[in-house]
Amino acid sequence: MSIEVSGLTKRFGDFVALDDVNVSLPTGQLTALLGPSGGGKSTLLRIIAGLDTADAGTVTIEGTDATRLPPQKRNVGFVFQHYAVFKHMTVAKNVAFGLEIRKRPKAETARRVEELLELVHLSQFSHRLPAQLSGGQRQRMALARALAVEPTVLLLDEPFGALDAKVRKELRDWLRRLHDEVHVTTVFVTHDQEEALEVADEIVVINEGRVEQVGTPDQLYDEPANDFVMGFLGEVTTLEGQVLRPHDIEVATHPVPGGVQGRVERVLRIGFEVRVVVAVADRPDVTVVLTRTHSRSMHLEAGAAVWLTPAEGAISVASGRQREAASA
Amino acid sequence: MTSALVERGSPPPVDPGADVPTGGGGGRRRPRRSRRSGPRSTLTRGAGLGLGVAVLWFSILVLLPLAAVVAVAAEGGVSGYVSVLQNDQTWAAVTLTVTQAAVVTVVNVLVGTVIAWVLVRDSFWGKRLLDVIIDVPFALPTIVAGLVLLSLYGPNSPLGLQWAFTPSAVTLALAFVTLPFVVRTVQPVLEELETDVEEAAASLGAKRSTIFRRIILPSLVPAIAAGAALSFARAISEYGSLVLLSGNRPFETEVVSVRVLTFIENGNNTSAAAVASVMLFVALVVIVLLDVLQRRVARRG
Repeated sequence: MSIEVSGLTKRFGDFVALDDVNVSLPTGQLTALLGPSGGGKSTLLRIIAGLDTADAGTVTIEGTDATRLPPQKRNVGFVFQHYAVFKHMTVAKNVAFGLEIRKRPKAETARRVEELLELVHLSQFSHRLPAQLSGGQRQRMALARALAVEPTVLLLDEPFGALDAKVRKELRDWLRRLHDEVHVTTVFVTHDQEEALEVADEIVVINEGRVEQVGTPDQLYDEPANDFVMGFLGEVTTLEGQVLRPHDIEVATHPVPGGVQGRVERVLRIGFEVRVVVAVADRPDVTVVLTRTHSRSMHLEAGAAVWLTPAEGAISVASGRQREAASA
Repeated sequence: MTSALVERGSPPPVDPGADVPTGGGGGRRRPRRSRRSGPRSTLTRGAGLGLGVAVLWFSILVLLPLAAVVAVAAEGGVSGYVSVLQNDQTWAAVTLTVTQAAVVTVVNVLVGTVIAWVLVRDSFWGKRLLDVIIDVPFALPTIVAGLVLLSLYGPNSPLGLQWAFTPSAVTLALAFVTLPFVVRTVQPVLEELETDVEEAAASLGAKRSTIFRRIILPSLVPAIAAGAALSFARAISEYGSLVLLSGNRPFETEVVSVRVLTFIENGNNTSAAAVASVMLFVALVVIVLLDVLQRRVARRG
């Protein structure tokens, strides 16, 4: 295991940012820390980097106890949401910074900087100042700068959070490809489940300072540990105390065994999808997603009586913690 | 204004290379020479009017009087200048003023930066109060500043420090009245600096001292230079606080502004103007030097 975090606790005044967090992040993988804003994931990342200190618990990086080490001695690369560029230095100088600090020979530094700029496709910008780059280019420069010192682990704090949607998607794919080339243990923080599911080998879901679940994207999606994880990874609805996906509910226009009777409230068409909101007795409304064809064949309209059952093989978890409202 | 007129008469600019900051092959020499007057004018009618007002105002208020002083000084011819500057007492006053102003400026650069740092980065009891009090030396009428210092360092000093009427009094008074300049120019820049930049440098292995020298200081240099220029300019022109505190003893504590006044009181306007224009020259040299320093640091990175 590359990073071992155990018993990590951090408070800011009365606010508990991390509550006895234990997690192991495997070597050479791309791990996402996923969770809602204010859930503690950035704090965890900053403590791993040594930029914040924990109140209790330990951090081990590649077998070395790093709990008390200053950031300078941890050999981690850190990429910030707002790039944290050295404004007065050229792109090449920014990337060279860590190597110059380490007093590497000039020729070696120059060669390495050239390699890295090639890697992040910024070779032709090496003499520009960061202010002359776009947001996406600045973040790629920041990544090259962090990789220059050959860090044991690369930590990225909401790396694409400040970029617009299109660039974010491009960089996301690019990060995945880069990781496949470089193979450095990488941990990135995101609140975007799509980003995590698409890019990460492994996802750690963090909420309210606790780890909710650790697993591959498939595991998280197919075997959610609880309704929070299920709700955070995609849309959910509650039927008879079971949390399940809206497309995992069967609709019938006649009574079926075990079916929950309800009345169609609204029918909303979004492209090929039709969302049907069904009012049921004494419970919150249930949302069902059907294909356009399916819904038309049943003549679903507002006011129609329907019977709902979970689809066969549908993934569901008991709605115990009543938190889905916050994440929906 | 002339460039605006030229622009209107000439064909519309078509050289796309003019926008590229890093251009500069030999082939582009010729068009560049033709617009030697500076960057392409972007004045609209409104902006042109604004520039006109600004230049007019600046001329009436600053350029004309300065030209008048130089003209008066020139009445005595070169020999007038030489004889004024060869006067030992005048020369001593000029040397004292410039040296003391330089010393005080260096002190301000160091102490002012530290004070600004403390005010921005640290939190302590009374910080808000200190932040307000910093301006007092600047806000106080300078004669009052002289009085304040005289009561503390004068003949009846409660501290037993009798610095009044010695060269130390000049240093003291100048340091007192110029204290806020560097603090107030550096403070806002320091506030704007993002701490994640320092964290990035730390995670790349830079020590505190290296982070300060290579990351923070380059961002502060323009502000420090601006504060130093203000501080120096104020120091060479100080009069009020010195009149009381320094005693105006020739060859010892007499500064230029007092010397100029003496010339005027004796009806020797030409000599007064000559000394004044020398100080004008000194001020220009220092301001240009600080500007060059600032640009060089900004470019070097």
